[in-house]
Amino acid sequence: MAKARGTDGSLLESLPWTLFALVFSLVPHFQFLPWWISAAFIVCGIWRFSIEKRRRPIPPTWFRGALALLCFLGVLATYSTVSGVGPGSALLAIMAALKLLETLKRRDQFVLLFISIFLVMSSLLREQHLWSLPYLLVAVFLIMTAWLRISSAAGQKARRSFSTSGRLVMYAAPLAIAMWIFFPRIATPFWSVPMDTGTGTSGISDTMSPGDISSLSLSDAVAFRVEFKGEVPAPRDRYWRGLVLTVFNGRTWTGNDPFRGARVHEQVVNSGRPVEYTITLEPTRQQWVFALDMPWNWTLERTFMGRQQQLIRARPIDQRVAYEAVSYLDYRTDVDLTEFARSFYESIPTQSNQRTQELAKRMRNTAGSDAAFIEAVLMRFHEQEYYYTLEPPPLGNNSVDRFLFETRQGFCEHYASAFAVMMRAAGIPARVVLGYQGGEMNPMGGHLIVRQSDAHAWNEVWIEDIGWRRVDPTAAVAPERIEVGRSGSMFNGAGAAWGFDMPSVLLHRMTLYWDAMNATWNEWVLGYGPDNQDKLMKWLGMDDPDWRKMMLTMIAIVIGIVLLISLVLSLRYRPPKRDRAAILYKKFVRKTGIEPSTGETPATFAVRVDGESVMPAETVDAITSTYLDVRYGPPNPQALLRLESEVRNL
Amino acid sequence: MSSIPWPFPKLGIKPALTNAANRRVRQWARKRQGIDSTVTRLRPRRVYILPTGVGLVFGLMVFAMLLGSMNYNNNLSFVLTFILAGLGFVAMHQCQRNLVGLELSFAGVEPVFAGQAAQFRVAITNHSKNARHGIRLYTDDSISELQDLMPGESKVFVLAVMTDKRGRIPLQRFGIRTLFPFELFHSWAWLHMDLSGLVYPHPADHTPPPPPTETAHGHRQHDARGEEDFAGLRKFHVGDSPRHVAWKAFARSGQLLSKQFSGADTSSQWFDFSDVPSDDVEQRLSILTSWIINADRTREDYGLRMPGAEFPPSHGETQRRQCLETIALFGLDGNDG
Repeated sequence: MAKARGTDGSLLESLPWTLFALVFSLVPHFQFLPWWISAAFIVCGIWRFSIEKRRRPIPPTWFRGALALLCFLGVLATYSTVSGVGPGSALLAIMAALKLLETLKRRDQFVLLFISIFLVMSSLLREQHLWSLPYLLVAVFLIMTAWLRISSAAGQKARRSFSTSGRLVMYAAPLAIAMWIFFPRIATPFWSVPMDTGTGTSGISDTMSPGDISSLSLSDAVAFRVEFKGEVPAPRDRYWRGLVLTVFNGRTWTGNDPFRGARVHEQVVNSGRPVEYTITLEPTRQQWVFALDMPWNWTLERTFMGRQQQLIRARPIDQRVAYEAVSYLDYRTDVDLTEFARSFYESIPTQSNQRTQELAKRMRNTAGSDAAFIEAVLMRFHEQEYYYTLEPPPLGNNSVDRFLFETRQGFCEHYASAFAVMMRAAGIPARVVLGYQGGEMNPMGGHLIVRQSDAHAWNEVWIEDIGWRRVDPTAAVAPERIEVGRSGSMFNGAGAAWGFDMPSVLLHRMTLYWDAMNATWNEWVLGYGPDNQDKLMKWLGMDDPDWRKMMLTMIAIVIGIVLLISLVLSLRYRPPKRDRAAILYKKFVRKTGIEPSTGETPATFAVRVDGESVMPAETVDAITSTYLDVRYGPPNPQALLRLESEVRNL
Repeated sequence: MSSIPWPFPKLGIKPALTNAANRRVRQWARKRQGIDSTVTRLRPRRVYILPTGVGLVFGLMVFAMLLGSMNYNNNLSFVLTFILAGLGFVAMHQCQRNLVGLELSFAGVEPVFAGQAAQFRVAITNHSKNARHGIRLYTDDSISELQDLMPGESKVFVLAVMTDKRGRIPLQRFGIRTLFPFELFHSWAWLHMDLSGLVYPHPADHTPPPPPTETAHGHRQHDARGEEDFAGLRKFHVGDSPRHVAWKAFARSGQLLSKQFSGADTSSQWFDFSDVPSDDVEQRLSILTSWIINADRTREDYGLRMPGAEFPPSHGETQRRQCLETIALFGLDGNDG
């Protein structure tokens, strides 16, 4: 098979459409694919098209084999694995490019269209946006149009393929909607596949090193949305608890937990009114689950409460999840702290940040009590020249010393870290809590938006007879950060960046509208899971819905719709109404008892009937000539009436 | 094109098995439908449908996509999966509807010589308000062109059936099929119109010279036509005797014309079956065929004498057809229409 196989231009009618469908299904992948794969695909597409156009042979087998091996190694080198959505899409793109070079027969293109369907699917697995639905509908439409081009007779107009595939997709839509609503959703996956979706843009990391990064990025990406059942808590009460950092090495706070295996649960005693709400959390690819301080109850599966009352999920959140939770704003934790725990929460490296440690000890002595000392430290932040800024100068090795005595500029992490170190130095157990604070109410959707820029760090100190108590040193420096929230001031002068002065209020309103649409979309379309389905089924009147009932309903509805479509099709294909004259003439023919042969005109038939002499010749001739008059003469209602009476009088 | 013997294509598994299955299914269909008239409207009951190979792959893919969507609990890929599944259902009905209601009528078949393909012509009429796409006819070993039928349109489809021996070539069954819209399904109908075409013997390659032409005067003729009465002029053809060229007319107009004669003195060339110099019957028939073709080409008069039949000398289309048909059917059972 060393013979070069030539092309004959027979694919020119379908290949451009196949290429178009492929490129369209690759569009969402371009930003994730390594540049050389996108380039290879485009080069192969153009190359193959020009081969067809100039009727040249396709590249030889050895060349294609070598190219395939090279590309495979390239993917392996780029991703160091071949499983997962990223490398999977890369391999699909490469397969499409190589298959293009191999495509010789018309029907080979089906493989290319199968690949584009898989590409669309993998882009949906990677990202789901509001525009993903229209995108996938257009993609299906284009793929099916290309499909029609491949299988249609030569010389058919592209416009016809477009309208046919549009019509068929429209017929399929009600079927798809019925199946989508009623197909039973299950909660647990069959198998888990690494999700390297690359979209986990959390503002929260597992460690905290104030001074490492010199500025905090203000991403206004949504971290989660909250819908409250009752009254919405005031902004200053909206502390969204995430993870707790307990160990400080002089520079970095980490969440190491020495109590592994020991039963030292801290008891929580709640009081006051519970707050009930639903959180829709965007994927973080981390295990931390956020809830209003202090969570009491939550519905997210495989999630437990850690020893420092942080919610931890057994596997990372790589998809959007929604869960209900109940929290108490007034709570008290365990009053007792073991000796071991006490020393753990007081330990700091003695060698570093010595000025801070001295200051803390001095202030503790002057204050007289723990409570007074805490107050004094907060007063120091409030009254002395400390500034809240998102772009603080970098800090050196003794980061807390440098911050407290020299730079005096920082954001929440700096203050939380400095505060905890001072507490510990003075012999008060302290820790750092990371999470979000505040959030903006969206009046359109009636929900609270918590953005990545709302990420916050605060402290908890342990006080004799009271237990762990939340203290937010940032509030002492920048109270408006806590009272108003950060998001509120974000849109000032946003239009200026685009060269026109857009009223910032209007822009803000538009953003809120968009957010409200996204929230509804997320809840009812992307988040349509077992719970929502159950709710919908009950609303539709199905009592005690289970998968069997839903499946049966689905099948019944699908059969109904299919029958309806069949009816519509048979109506589309029914013959046009026969005219009255033809019906009358047919009646006459039946009365003669003679079968007209094919291709026989009424005139020759009349001659034959006369020959058989079954009825008077003048009648036959009269009917025949009247019929021909009606049929081929100018419009004449009189003639039709005459034919009517003639046939009736037979 | 995909395999023709449907519903059981040659999958590489025992061909004897699939052949037997095919035969069974066809016998069943023939018994069920009966013999069709030469004008037949396709009713829904006789339009069969099965998925194609592409359709099976498509089904598998949709199933895999369903599993994937369930695994990731991804509602948009559920949408994609269900749209494709819906398209499958729609394609099934569309495919069958694409055939239902079509009218097929036999439009004749010209006689051919053995070794040539008999061209059965079937006219298909689309009486509906909608276009029909990708229609073709097929038999076990031939397939017509793929054509679309616009509303009210009627088109002739040609089935070329190879012939190898003289006589009647039967076309007991042929099929009409479509893969429209997406080649996911294959919809077809079998028609049993019991058609047949006439096959003349293959003209012999090496023909002995035909028997001498005799005239009433008993001498040899140069030309089959009489030379007694001048009948007119016609354009000169290569091979015309120079003696018949109208030289006077040439001098006048510069155009070469041949004189034509007719008269009572027409030659009477007889081709007699018993006189053909060959022992083999088929060979004799072949030689006779060849003589008739040649005589017809030169527009000579000829007569044919067969055991039990005799055609007096004449020429023209009717003579040729009658003679060749007699030769073609010679010795075969007379159950031909």
